[in-house]
Amino acid sequence: MAGKVLVVTSGKGGVGKTTTTANLGTGLALLGRRVCLVDADIGLRNLDVVMGLENRIVYDLVDVIEGQCKLRNALIKDKRVENLFLLPAAQTREKDAVTPAQMKELCDTLKQEFDYVLVDSPAGIEHGFRNAIAGADDALIVTTPEVSAVRDADRIIGMLEAHEIRSPKLIVNRIRPDMVKRGDMMDIDDVIEILAIQLIGVVPDDQEVIVATNKGEPVIFDRRTRSGQAYYNIVRRLEGEDVPFMQIGPDGFVERLRRLLSRDVRRRA
Amino acid sequence: MLKGSREGVAIVIDEAVSIETAIAELRAKLQESGEFFRGAAFRLDAGRRRLTEEEREALSQAVREFGIELHVVDDTPRGGGPVAFPRRERLPQVTAGRAARGRGEEMASEERTLYLRRTLRSGQRVDFDGNVVIMGDVNAGAQITCTGDIIVLGTLRGLAHAGAAGNEEAIVMAFRLEPTQLRIAHYISRAPDEAEPRPVGPEIARVKNDMILIEAYDPR
Repeated sequence: MAGKVLVVTSGKGGVGKTTTTANLGTGLALLGRRVCLVDADIGLRNLDVVMGLENRIVYDLVDVIEGQCKLRNALIKDKRVENLFLLPAAQTREKDAVTPAQMKELCDTLKQEFDYVLVDSPAGIEHGFRNAIAGADDALIVTTPEVSAVRDADRIIGMLEAHEIRSPKLIVNRIRPDMVKRGDMMDIDDVIEILAIQLIGVVPDDQEVIVATNKGEPVIFDRRTRSGQAYYNIVRRLEGEDVPFMQIGPDGFVERLRRLLSRDVRRRA
Repeated sequence: MLKGSREGVAIVIDEAVSIETAIAELRAKLQESGEFFRGAAFRLDAGRRRLTEEEREALSQAVREFGIELHVVDDTPRGGGPVAFPRRERLPQVTAGRAARGRGEEMASEERTLYLRRTLRSGQRVDFDGNVVIMGDVNAGAQITCTGDIIVLGTLRGLAHAGAAGNEEAIVMAFRLEPTQLRIAHYISRAPDEAEPRPVGPEIARVKNDMILIEAYDPR
């Protein structure tokens, strides 16, 4: 049975697409799924670094598409988890080395082999973005609670609609409960009100993420961290489990979120 | 190949060429125009040709790659007597074109109305000759320009330009009116720089005493 291609995208740069891709991919593999991570950010590859696999790269995505090597030769097996593979981006090429049609073909091939294919999209809405979404069955939109990031996410959701990806899921990254409480940061409430898509995860701002990223070891390995727990919850929701949202703020946040979600469902209907 | 008019952009397919050739030409043309048409909707004018389901699908697929929706496929054969529907001049357009210029024409409020049951997101725009009703939100970064009234059954956060051809009687109404900018005819107003508490409930904007005035909507 064919797997699912999910593109992780945001429009805006620096909101945590690559970190999200690495953590969700690792988490799904830890649950026993066969997972392939695809770095579609040709020319600015990062996913290999975050996964700690940079030194293993021989061939890359462009080599595969140009027929310089077989797909299986370019796939890098993760050093910690079984069933997790990475198809790295080319660093010395540019985004236009690949066309959307070629990306679609690649994704279609990969999903025959894997349960999940997670495509890490570059920032922006240009050629690289169009490549990243070409083969996607669904999308995960990553945003931070900032007006500019939410605006870009909104733009991206509109563009995905034109590509028949009609029900993307939302991940709100780097939320800081203390700032939300003081009214210095957008509330999840505000974000969902504008974007009106289904929320699948809220990841708190956590220094552990930076530590883990620099070590090349996704934070999801340490489920004692709040961010690791948050990513693990998203993974379970992707697998169809009904996982309650983490208590982030002290003031009945979960209840407010539930209320919001049920309203969101009605709005989407 | 591509024909622009006040009604929007139509894809015109020469009856003499094969559908493959037509699609190839279309791709080339869209490649040239880059991002210009992204988010737009095109109509299809196939002349006397009857398109098969596959051919239609191939065409929509081709334009979708450029972020364009093939809005209405009109392949009703012409010339065999009067064709009642779909009439070209009745079809709604969502175009990526430039803002409508004020032509100074007075427009009656009983003009045609475009009804859209969707949310307009950042980067999407609607240009229409007539009234526009949106059942959904109009988010910041989205834009509506039309010659008549604009009614948003939801929250208006983007830019709305009613009476764009010069009709100062045009109105903008929304369940929640929080626009970045409002324009009616040649009047422009913007949101205050300091966030101020807004009344909850439907509001209506219209030109009064040479400026755009926002009031609570009172149906009486």
